[in-house]
Amino acid sequence: MTSASSFITALAVNPAVIMTVGAVLGALIPNGFAAIRRPLMMIFVAMSAFQLNRLGLGEFGALSIFGEPVTMLRIDPLSRIFAVVFHIATALNLLYAWRSRDRAQDFASLAYPAAALGGVLAGDLITLFVWWEIAAITSVFLVWAPGTRATFVAGMRYLTIQVLSGVLLLAGVVLVYRETGSFAFGEIGLRDAQGAMKASGLVMLTAFGIKAAFPLLHNWVQDAYPKASFSGTIVLSVFTTKLAVASIARAFPGEPELILIGAVMTIFPIFFALIENDLKKVLCYSINNQVGFMVVGVGFGTAASINGAVGYAFTNIIFESLLFMAVGAAVYRTGTSKATELGGLYRTMPLTMAFAIVGAMSISAFPGFAGFVTKGLIIDAAGEANHFLIWLVLLFASAGVLEHAGIKIPYFTFFAHDSGKGPKEAPPEMLLAMGISAFLCIAIGVRPEPLYALMPYPEAVADYHPYAPYHVIEQLQLLLWAVLAFAALILLKWYPAEVPSTNLDTDWFYRVPGRGLLGWAVAAVRAVWRLAWRLFSTRTQEIMDRIYAVHGPEGALARSWPTGFMALATAVILGLALIIAFAA
Amino acid sequence: MNLAAQLPVLPIITPLIAAPLTILMPSEKFGGRAPYVWATLVAWAAFAACAALLHAVATAGPISYHLGDWAPPIGIEYRIDLANALVLTLVSGVAALVMPFSFRSVRAEIDPRQTSLFYAALMICMAGLLGVTITGDAFNVFVFLEISSLSTYALVAMGGRTDRRALTASFNYLVMGTIGATFFVIGLGLLYQATGTLNMADVKHQLAGDNNRMVEAGFAFIVVGMGLKAAMFPMHLWMPNAYAYAPSVVSAFIAATATKVAVYVIIRFIYSVIGIEFGFIEAAFNYLLMPMAIAGMFFASIVAIFQDDVKRMLAYSSVGQIGYMLLGVSFGTEQGLTASLVHLINHGMMKGALFMAAACVMLRVGSHSISAYAGLARRMPATAAAFILSGLSLIGAPLTVGFISKWQLLAAAFDSGRAWAGFLVVASSFLAVIYVGRVIELMLLRPPAPDAAGVKEAPLSMIIPLLVLTGANVYFGLNTELTVDLAERAAHALMGSAR
Repeated sequence: MTSASSFITALAVNPAVIMTVGAVLGALIPNGFAAIRRPLMMIFVAMSAFQLNRLGLGEFGALSIFGEPVTMLRIDPLSRIFAVVFHIATALNLLYAWRSRDRAQDFASLAYPAAALGGVLAGDLITLFVWWEIAAITSVFLVWAPGTRATFVAGMRYLTIQVLSGVLLLAGVVLVYRETGSFAFGEIGLRDAQGAMKASGLVMLTAFGIKAAFPLLHNWVQDAYPKASFSGTIVLSVFTTKLAVASIARAFPGEPELILIGAVMTIFPIFFALIENDLKKVLCYSINNQVGFMVVGVGFGTAASINGAVGYAFTNIIFESLLFMAVGAAVYRTGTSKATELGGLYRTMPLTMAFAIVGAMSISAFPGFAGFVTKGLIIDAAGEANHFLIWLVLLFASAGVLEHAGIKIPYFTFFAHDSGKGPKEAPPEMLLAMGISAFLCIAIGVRPEPLYALMPYPEAVADYHPYAPYHVIEQLQLLLWAVLAFAALILLKWYPAEVPSTNLDTDWFYRVPGRGLLGWAVAAVRAVWRLAWRLFSTRTQEIMDRIYAVHGPEGALARSWPTGFMALATAVILGLALIIAFAA
Repeated sequence: MNLAAQLPVLPIITPLIAAPLTILMPSEKFGGRAPYVWATLVAWAAFAACAALLHAVATAGPISYHLGDWAPPIGIEYRIDLANALVLTLVSGVAALVMPFSFRSVRAEIDPRQTSLFYAALMICMAGLLGVTITGDAFNVFVFLEISSLSTYALVAMGGRTDRRALTASFNYLVMGTIGATFFVIGLGLLYQATGTLNMADVKHQLAGDNNRMVEAGFAFIVVGMGLKAAMFPMHLWMPNAYAYAPSVVSAFIAATATKVAVYVIIRFIYSVIGIEFGFIEAAFNYLLMPMAIAGMFFASIVAIFQDDVKRMLAYSSVGQIGYMLLGVSFGTEQGLTASLVHLINHGMMKGALFMAAACVMLRVGSHSISAYAGLARRMPATAAAFILSGLSLIGAPLTVGFISKWQLLAAAFDSGRAWAGFLVVASSFLAVIYVGRVIELMLLRPPAPDAAGVKEAPLSMIIPLLVLTGANVYFGLNTELTVDLAERAAHALMGSAR
């Protein structure tokens, strides 16, 4: 049994707890001193990173809570790579919105990454669940930050879905515990020894799948993320889905269903992204598509493909947020993220444009950039497993990425028709954050070895050479054809025109017909509840009256009794004590 | 003869000699400052001695001090091990904060002609409580118990200047306290009859597990007598009125110490005097202590919910909290004992702080009725903050000592295979959420009463000790080395001495 002090010691060593403390302290700073909030938070991120580095690999904070062993902190190669990139992303995001003076948003910008970090480092399912829920609750403040009615409602929808994921996770934890008798968080798998589907695995995968935005479970991303403030969207884009990827990689490596799910994920957002007018939403669809690649990598389950999935997550976090930052800078200066209202910004925001292009080339996996050195691992795995169809889908999806994220984002923001806005260049702290991201994109692209060394199976990438001629030629062909297609579509005016429109996604089904159904169900439940409540409340009132009669100020138990009665009570107790002592 | 060798007797002898000298001091000259400063210095000296003792015991093991160099079992022995060193430090620590705290409150509530008498009585009360705790002689416990009780009756009665009900409360307390002390001394007599000795260790040695009716009856009398002093449910009826109508400073001091010392004596007699190898101890744990502990946890807490008087509410809450301590003891395991000792110390800190906050409100608003607390967070922010933090501690919120207590108790319940007891602890904690929450809600959200316009923050002389004790609630919630680790060692030693 653990004492409370060892519980507190176990908390104190945890980098995620250090960050959370930073977030809470930051939130406590009065608004008059808001300027020191982000510097203070940055110090805590540095302390957390230092602690992560100091601990090295291993398990820490082992406790037993009411007889069950619990590992609050497990740093193994799989969790370490996520922890490292989470620190990088947290620091860059804090830097990017350095001038933010919004208490709730500042708090969430550190508390939510901290929770995701804690979840990634969790060694047992209880700890994972706790961080999972903290991440859900803290992140909603980012959605709420703009403070309008629309964001409030979207935040509530978002929270509902996130909490649903948490509830499912809890159910899955219980099922897993019943099955294995332990809370350890390791491989769960979808099938039991006889090859039949397990309820525990399915429930767990659904919980993870909601957060990873699996197809049909994805709408919350496009609903909530674009409604956050420009800096909030960037923070949101990084953590939730990647926490889910890390969890899936740990619990379900090599499940063939994931290959299919991931392949669908890479394809379907492309079409939505192509016709979407709001560039923030385009990027949100791009998150779905990018996570799809990672899910496919996990699905293959070989050492190389897991490396690929995890490594892609690492690089994706950097270049995806770089793209979000560039669009965010445009939003910051012009106040809009609609393709129809932007354009021609390259004249006055040349640096932002340059960084956006670095991000675009990375996400499109141009040789020499970060996406290239990790995506190849996943696509190669498809080739090696002789999954021709999947391989083809991934290639097609890669071309699609180039279209919607690689070209559409920079093209419609900085070129296309001139919006005539001519805003100022982004402020220096944004440029610095974007510059560092862009530098990382190029540095990893040119020298991927340090990243490979961080991967879960470094031996599997030991003889992987991203710049082998075969890889480079394949990729360049793909990219050239895709660019050509874009150019042709634009020239022939076949490219879906930028029109201010709202696109219907699958969430129409649960928003329109589903809403009617829900309305009916709510009315029915309300009627039943009212009835139950009336029965219950009259009964409760009776019980409360009775309790009050005995315990209330004039009740038997609270009255000031005469000494004679007290003495009698004492004598009765003495008699009782004597009987007990004599009888034993 | 050097002073260090005489250290064990200093916490007792200093206030015992200082108290009569206090009476010689002028009550009304200098605004009553002379006895106040003197009492504060004495309390600090006693605290310093106790802290030194705790340090010595923690590093070098138990100390045995022979009073007047008469060797035990004939002479009186002071025997200090970790368990009573912790309680000594608590009692003297609370005294060291209450004494400097008391000045303004005493001037407002006590007849100015009685100032020096008041401080003398308070010092005697402290000396008595310390003596009960420190001594290794069973009869000496009775003597010191009476010293502390008699002075407490007088102190409670001094509240009669502001509220005449203090007089009946004090009288009831006197009658009941005397019954309790009588039972206790009857129990001692029976043990003396059975063993022919009064030294605790010697009684244990002579008994050697030899069971007879005399020992059983002695045990029953001692537990019931001390249970009454500890306000064990349902023998708590003297306590709410005594705490509510006593002068604020007295409430703060005795609520934080007196019942805790009584619980300590119960633990001491069960483990170090009688020994748990007797079959009837097990039965008493299961059929006497545990049911009454649980009944107290619930009934007293529910009563607290309905109270209109904050001091009475806190008093009923104490009955419930004593339930937690006895529950820990009744598990009969080392962990349960640890939990009990930890909660004993921690509860002293929380209740002390809460009653001190109530004293600040009494000084500024002039009432301890719950309506006096409306909108107080804006008028008396420091007092309100201290009340809220200590209240959270009482509930058992994390980062406070209350959490540590509850954790230890839950751990002990689960480890001894009594998961249901753990659930009862959690369930009764919700009752604490309600009764503390009521006051917090009033302080934070309600508008202040219209006649409370001129209310301002309590003076610094009160705020500083209050915040120090509140800070201790948080500090020992984070750093549990001193409390939990020492309590674990103390429990281990008690268990070892019991076999």
